[in-house]
Amino acid sequence: MKRRIISLGWGARKEGRNIWTRNAVKGVSVRKERRKRDGRNEWRLWDPTKSKIAASLLRTKLDPARIIPQPGNDCLYLGSSTGGTVSHIHDCVCGSGNHHRGKIIAIDISSRMMRELVKLSEIRPGIVPVLADARDIAQISPFVNKKVDWMHQDLSISDQAKTFVKTAEIFLKNEGIGLLSLKAASERAADGSLEIQYEKAEDILKKSNLDIIEKIDLKGLEEQHVLFYCKMK
Amino acid sequence: MRICYDWRLSRLIDDEGLIIDEIYWTSDVTVPNLVRRLLLLQKGRMSPEARILYERFDDVEVCPEGHLDDINWPSYNENQQKIFDEATVKMTKMKIAESSGDLDKRLDMLVSSANEIRSAWTTSESRCVEWIGLFLTEINLDTNRKEIINSIVKSESISSAANLLETTQPLFSPSEVEWESLKKHCQSVVDLTQRMKQHEDAIRILTLDYMPTLSSLIGPLSASKLLVLAGSRERLARMPSGSLQVLGAHAAMAAHRKGASPPKHGSILFSLPQVGKSPRWVRGKVARFIAGKASIAVRIDHFGGIPWGDKEISKINNDIEKIISKFPRPPIRK
Repeated sequence: MKRRIISLGWGARKEGRNIWTRNAVKGVSVRKERRKRDGRNEWRLWDPTKSKIAASLLRTKLDPARIIPQPGNDCLYLGSSTGGTVSHIHDCVCGSGNHHRGKIIAIDISSRMMRELVKLSEIRPGIVPVLADARDIAQISPFVNKKVDWMHQDLSISDQAKTFVKTAEIFLKNEGIGLLSLKAASERAADGSLEIQYEKAEDILKKSNLDIIEKIDLKGLEEQHVLFYCKMK
Repeated sequence: MRICYDWRLSRLIDDEGLIIDEIYWTSDVTVPNLVRRLLLLQKGRMSPEARILYERFDDVEVCPEGHLDDINWPSYNENQQKIFDEATVKMTKMKIAESSGDLDKRLDMLVSSANEIRSAWTTSESRCVEWIGLFLTEINLDTNRKEIINSIVKSESISSAANLLETTQPLFSPSEVEWESLKKHCQSVVDLTQRMKQHEDAIRILTLDYMPTLSSLIGPLSASKLLVLAGSRERLARMPSGSLQVLGAHAAMAAHRKGASPPKHGSILFSLPQVGKSPRWVRGKVARFIAGKASIAVRIDHFGGIPWGDKEISKINNDIEKIISKFPRPPIRK
């Protein structure tokens, strides 16, 4: 039986429990993910166990199409690692040869991860790889020439919510989408249980200029993680 | 009035949002120059154009992120976008290449690979000794372990190995293919021993140069292990001595957070004879004292102090002896 295809906007779709993005570089997988042809297009499987954004698309109770950025958007990705998720965002925002003229500023502190990301940026125009400490605004701002439409923070540090608020208030547009992947294991263990840590982060977000649209629990796909889907006021 | 700038231009904007003055970067706009400029901006420095405006006007506020709030700030044109894309990739590649100059990372590689070799050596050495012991049943496997393996490597058969080790001949001999495997496995243990020695010599040389004071206090191998556990020399230098004392005691710290008693020391400090060979009831006291001194030592190394000589080290060792002699008997349990 053929699965029903639900479009998640340009370049992304959901088929059953799988999410696919339209591959911007045909014939090339980024982390050995499955590819399939559909007419002239090639689609790449977005693994929800390896990407918190993909996991949130499956777990959200709202419209998943609103979580991912639109074609041509300017995006900021803090903690990009080797660029697995960045490549899927690139599929949606930039497309093949960056014909949508989108931009993804991908920040990571690790030179080992950045090595892979630089290689990715060379075949995917529109990705700006920046080796910098995402907590330091001065290290990011020279690479951002206008406020971004969409940002995602995925950092394994303590005070993730505070860092997210500080960065979003500077770099995120009004009405811009901000996603915070909160990893409880990275917060101070002395702060309390998982729930207490999530509540603390939620309080910090509520006191900021961000509206929390949804708190998405990623249990089953990413343990000890929640994703806060926010919008700038 | 405030100065807003990015790598292309600098603007002086008044409180009503009117542009009072602006300077564009026009001369010699090349990729290498842009890389240099982006590196400066990343360090929080002003662009040359912003500096000119800053010197030209009094009482102005410098806003490095101010351009983001300005809706009239110009977007990149095609040429600017092209040069920016090229420069960011070049700059990132340059910074990746520079990371090989980081001694913290180099020591991390060396220490981690030495740990892996030691772990492989321990497993293979035990396996070889047990394997030989299966055939040479009269031999003492606890003493002269090194000689057992060396004799296999030098011998052509299990019988000649028995002769070399001056033990009784085996009742059953391994087949030819079995003997070859055993001999090659023993050879790999000998090779691993040499590699381990080579690694540890390299660690000693690098650490003595990088952390001379800490090395003279606790030895270069322990110093390098502390550095790797902390992440870098800077992090070790900024660490409170209480944290340094329990470095390497992750499991015990995790148990402590759930209510168990706190660990007295981490694995590195325990490996020091002053701690490990001390009576149980003074180990915590000695570990705390050494951690305090080690904390000072690494700060001397990192922040450019005068390295400690033999006099300071022997005074510390005397103080450790005094602590040990002050508590000759275990405390009475209440």
